[in-house]
Amino acid sequence: MALALENVSKHFGSLVAIRNLSLSFDVGSIYSIIGPNGAGKSTVVNMIAGSYSVTSGTIRLGATALNQLPKHRIAQLGVSRTYQNLRLFDGMTVLENLEVCFFPQSWLTFLTGAKRLSKAERLEICHACLAEFHLSDVADVLAGDLPYGRQKILELARAFVTQAPIVLLDEPAAGLNHTETKDMAAMIAGLKREDRAIILVEHDMDMVMSISDRIDVLNYGELLCSGTPDLVRTNERVQEAYLGTTEELDDIRKLAQSRRAQGGLRANAGIVRH
Amino acid sequence: MGNSVIARRLGLLAVLALCVVLLALVPYLPSYYVRVVDSILIYIILAVGLNLVVGYAGLLDLGFIAFYAVGAYAYALLASGQFDIHLPFIVILFIGAAAGAIAGVLLGFPVLKLRGDYLAIVTLSFGEIIRIAINNADDLTNGPQGIAGLDRASLFGLPLTTPVHFYWLLLVLAIIVCGGVYYMERSILGKAWRALREDQDVVRGLGINTTTLKLLAFALSAAIGGAGGVIFGAFQRFVSPESFTFQESLLVVLIIIIGGVGNIVGVIAGAVVLVVLPEVLHFAAQYRLLIYGVVLVTVIVLRPGGLVSPRFNLGFIIRKVRTLWLSPSKT
Repeated sequence: MALALENVSKHFGSLVAIRNLSLSFDVGSIYSIIGPNGAGKSTVVNMIAGSYSVTSGTIRLGATALNQLPKHRIAQLGVSRTYQNLRLFDGMTVLENLEVCFFPQSWLTFLTGAKRLSKAERLEICHACLAEFHLSDVADVLAGDLPYGRQKILELARAFVTQAPIVLLDEPAAGLNHTETKDMAAMIAGLKREDRAIILVEHDMDMVMSISDRIDVLNYGELLCSGTPDLVRTNERVQEAYLGTTEELDDIRKLAQSRRAQGGLRANAGIVRH
Repeated sequence: MGNSVIARRLGLLAVLALCVVLLALVPYLPSYYVRVVDSILIYIILAVGLNLVVGYAGLLDLGFIAFYAVGAYAYALLASGQFDIHLPFIVILFIGAAAGAIAGVLLGFPVLKLRGDYLAIVTLSFGEIIRIAINNADDLTNGPQGIAGLDRASLFGLPLTTPVHFYWLLLVLAIIVCGGVYYMERSILGKAWRALREDQDVVRGLGINTTTLKLLAFALSAAIGGAGGVIFGAFQRFVSPESFTFQESLLVVLIIIIGGVGNIVGVIAGAVVLVVLPEVLHFAAQYRLLIYGVVLVTVIVLRPGGLVSPRFNLGFIIRKVRTLWLSPSKT
């Protein structure tokens, strides 16, 4: 199964957020979409998941055109996602946060055509998922009561529990400290599977460079460069786009260069944060 | 097994026995008190039904009484001299529930894109539209005069005429409704509703059709309202539009808010308080709305979550009883 964006554009009024973007994602790999703030990364994720409509072009999952479908149909076809800002069901327990993902497999299956799962099967899958994400000890804790780092992991678990072939991760490392980010990167790398494509939007360059099979760099809504981490790291246009060319960005460039000397290229947003 | 466990079990038994005795004693009370209890039970049924929409799915419906009216008029039209149709009570009970559900879906379809205040305003209007339509459809409903002389109801050959008969019917129905709603609350459907209440967009992102989910809540809740209306019609043997004013919708919503949103035990407590209060304060009948206002403000200031804590719900009670009985060492 492959996800393909074909000549996709997105306009917000007169603002062109994405211009004629064509990308293809096959199962079995981890992809990262990077780019400066406002480059259109989250827009891509939101278009694939159906939160935004596309202005022109087509998004296909296998042979199915996704961009005409309502959001819940897209999810049922196998696209799951996390959100830039945590969006868990805070008043529900950790287990319930996962369980509710199986609603399409329980009620009204005659409407959705989904395969029916019994309560026992559903719970078994959820408990296995909790174990995989090291959340078993907090299964009955309210999601809102978890520390931030574990909430991030729970949101990750929720995106993976249904075994969706396409998983979109919108800034999984946002707000995590250095150690937590490393753990998160290792966890995502460990989730790579033959029947699954993981698409990451992330500012943390260490994470992106260490776990991606391919990196797509966006700038002003257009594809600037696409390739392996090594290729992207050395691409001059990427560095220019990230660091800017005007004088007022010189300071940032210097700071970034000193960082690079320390062994890691960071996005401008990353610099602001650290 | 320690003495304390035995004592606690005995205590539990005593509480249960007390409940049963109290419920069994109601029929021996003077007729006026039985009517009050009947009224409490009807409002429990209505509020538990509305709570599906307001408490679980998080959709504020201010026109709930319209479904009650649909049920009551179903009985009035199908068991009276109005069109000389005389169907049995039990048949109309199901027809009323179905008619309520259909009305719920009809209301739900156009309004479910709305949220919060907007939804509340549209449902409020819907309630008023139904009442005014009944008021004006003279040929069908006799308009403001209402329909009188409805059939005496009977159920499986047992007559349903006195408040005591209706007490038993309502008690059984209230238990069925509370049990059914509790089951739904615990099922994955209830979880999906709670998730919907928290974040509708994320729920859609999980592959759940939120429109279906909301329509289900509307339909089930309206079906309960419709069934309640049928009983009301059979009990009063007279229906007129003025029984279904906005004030009634408001009362049911208040019961939920004052008792505890999304909590069956709270809703029962709310119904008892709000039905008994005006009876106790009969001498101040013209201040009824004022009193409601004062009670509401007091509760919201002192106990914003409602009289009954969200933790003290039916599940909590059942768990307590079960652990005390099966593995008392844990308590």
